[in-house]
Amino acid sequence: MRSTRYTLFLLLVGCLCASNGTAQSVTISADTIIQKVTQVMNPAQSKGKMQMTIVTTSKKTRTFVYLAYSKNHGEKTLMKYLQPSRVKGQSILMLNNADDIWIYFPRTRRVRKLATHAKKQKMEGSDFSYEDMGAGDAFIEEFKSRLLGEGKKQDRLCYKLELTRMAESTSGYSKLVMWVDKENFVPLVIDYYHDDDSTLLEKELVLSDIKVIDKIPTPMQMVMYNRLDRTQTSMEFLEVSYKVNLEDDLFTERGMKK
Amino acid sequence: MKRLFGVSLLSLVLITRLSAQEVDIFGYFEPQFTVIYLDQNYYQLQSNKLRVDLKSNPDENIEFGANFDWLVYHGKREWSFWDFIPKEVTSSVDPYRKARYRFTYDDRSFLDNAYLRFTCPSFDLMVGKQQISLGTGYAWNPTDIFNVKDLTDPTYEQPGHNAARIDWPLRNGFAILALYSPESTWENSGKLLRLKGRWRHFDFSVIGSETEWTLTDYNYPYYNLASFHRRRLLGGDCVGELLGLGVWAEGAYNFVKDSKDFWELVVGGDYTFDSELYLMLEFYHHSLAKSDYRQYDLNDWLRFFHQEQKSITRDQVCWLAQYPLTDLLKIGGSALISLSDGSIAFIPTVLYSLHENLELTLIGNINVGKEGKAYGSNQGHSLLLRSRVYF
Repeated sequence: MRSTRYTLFLLLVGCLCASNGTAQSVTISADTIIQKVTQVMNPAQSKGKMQMTIVTTSKKTRTFVYLAYSKNHGEKTLMKYLQPSRVKGQSILMLNNADDIWIYFPRTRRVRKLATHAKKQKMEGSDFSYEDMGAGDAFIEEFKSRLLGEGKKQDRLCYKLELTRMAESTSGYSKLVMWVDKENFVPLVIDYYHDDDSTLLEKELVLSDIKVIDKIPTPMQMVMYNRLDRTQTSMEFLEVSYKVNLEDDLFTERGMKK
Repeated sequence: MKRLFGVSLLSLVLITRLSAQEVDIFGYFEPQFTVIYLDQNYYQLQSNKLRVDLKSNPDENIEFGANFDWLVYHGKREWSFWDFIPKEVTSSVDPYRKARYRFTYDDRSFLDNAYLRFTCPSFDLMVGKQQISLGTGYAWNPTDIFNVKDLTDPTYEQPGHNAARIDWPLRNGFAILALYSPESTWENSGKLLRLKGRWRHFDFSVIGSETEWTLTDYNYPYYNLASFHRRRLLGGDCVGELLGLGVWAEGAYNFVKDSKDFWELVVGGDYTFDSELYLMLEFYHHSLAKSDYRQYDLNDWLRFFHQEQKSITRDQVCWLAQYPLTDLLKIGGSALISLSDGSIAFIPTVLYSLHENLELTLIGNINVGKEGKAYGSNQGHSLLLRSRVYF
C-alpha cells in the first residue's frame, strides 16, 4: 500500500523539490540522499494545474487536465478533473499518505472508497496506477537504499541509488534504481522493477524541465514509460504554487463535492 | 410533447445566451439500440437521450446546478409485463386483465435535477431536485428508500428527487446528513437522518428514515389497488478492507404500518489482481421475498417489475468480473444467481473508449433459469449497444 508513496504525486503535485543546496560531498550516505530526496519531494503545501497525456498502444492520445492540491508534506492530496467532459467534476481524495482513497463521481453524486488492491488499477487508463499517485515517505519506509555510484543524466551529475524493497513492505515494485541530481536532490530518472522479478524493468519515470518556483526546484515535465506495455504517459504542470494556505476542509468528502 | 420540447430548448438557449459568461454547460448525447428476444420473436427498441447540464457559481459559496433530459424512443415501444410472467401464473388470471399490465416507452423531456447549494462555514444546505445516493452496496442498497438500481447496469445515474438536505461535517471524518423530501403531507414525505463516521480504514454510517411505501394489489379484480403504508427504516452500512480484500456491508430493518415488517442485507467483497483482473461478489437477502419459486404469484412479479419490492427471490448473489483487455478496451460481465431457486442471468459487458469523450458499451442479458424462476428463460434475452458522447 505504502508503495504509493514513492512515485508521483509528490513528484507530481506536490512535488518537489526544495533545497537550494550546493553540490554535496561524494562521501554522503545513501540514507542521507534519500532523506533529502524525500524532503525535497514533499513541500508543506501545493496547488497546481496539471495536464496528463496518455499515448496508448495503438498510438492514440488521451488528455486530462486536473487540479491538484497537497497538504502536510503530501499526507493529504486531492485531485479534481477539469477535462475531458467525460470525467469533469470527478475527484480523488487520498489521506494518510494514500492509505485511504476515495473517488467521487459527480453524475451519480456517489463517493466510493477504494481498498488497497484497487490501487493497482490504472488511473484513467494511464501508466500511473492510483498507487503511483500517492505521496509520502515511501522511499524511506518501504525500501532499503544503497549508493551505487555516480553518473550523468540529462547532462547533470547524479547520485545513482538502488532501493530494495523491505521484507515487510507491500510495495508493488521489488526494486527501484534512481538517479538524483547532486545539486538540488531532484530525482531525474527512476526505474521501477517488476513485483516478482527484480531484473525485469517495468516502468521508467523521467523528470525534466526543472524550474525554481517559490524557491522550490520543480520538474515541470514528467514522463512515465511502461516498458512492458510499450505505452507512455506524460504529465506537465500548467500552473503550480507552493505559497498557499489550504484549509483542512478541502481534504474531506465535502471538499471533493465542492 | 413537441411543444414542451421546444419550450425547454428555447429556455435553455435563453439561459445560456443570457449568462454564457457565468454558466458552465456540458452533458452528453446517448443513442441506444436494444434487441430483445422474447417468446421466439425478435424485437427492437431504440432511444436517443440528450442530457444538458448547467452549472454556475453566482457566489463563492453558492452553487446552482441543473440538467435537462430529452428522451425519444423508436421501435417496439408498447410492452406488457404479462409477457414476462410465467404462464403458470398468468394461466390462472383472467386474460382480460392483460391490458392492465401494459407499459409504454413514451418520449419524455424533463428537468431531472435543479438545485441550489449554499456552503456555510459549518454546513452545506442543498435545496431542489437532486440525486440522492445512499449505501455501500453495488447492486442493491437496503438503506436507499429513494432509488432502485437496474441490475443489468447498476452504476447508471439515478433520477433526481425533490429534497432539502443539510450536510454537517463534524470532527475526525464524522458527518451528519439530514434530508427532507416533501410530498403532499408531512406524514407521507421522506425524512432521513444519517451519521457517518470513520474508524481506522473503515467508513461506516447509521441511518434512520421514514417514507410512504406504495404496495399494489395487482390481483384486485377491477383495477390495480394501491395501498400506502408508513415505512420506518433503521439501518447502517460500512466499507473498508479485511485481509487484503475490499469489503462492505449494508443492512436495514423496515417497520411497516399495517403490513409485514421486513429486512434486507447486503454483504460484499472485491479484489484486484496484479493483472488488473477485478472480481467482486455481493450477497443480498430480502426477507419479504420468497424462497420457493413455486410460490411466486402475480403480485410478487408485478411488485418486482414496478420496483415496489427490490427482489422476487429471497437470497441471491451478484458476481462481477472486469478485465482491461487493452488500454482502451475493457471486457467483463456479471452473473445474478438466485440461491433460492437456482436460476441465473448472465450479463456480459464490453466497454470501448473510441475517443476521450466517446464511449461504446455493449451489455447482454441472458436468462438461463427454468420458466417460473427469478431469472427464467421465459423473460427473454437482450443485447444493448450504447454510445455516449460527452460535450
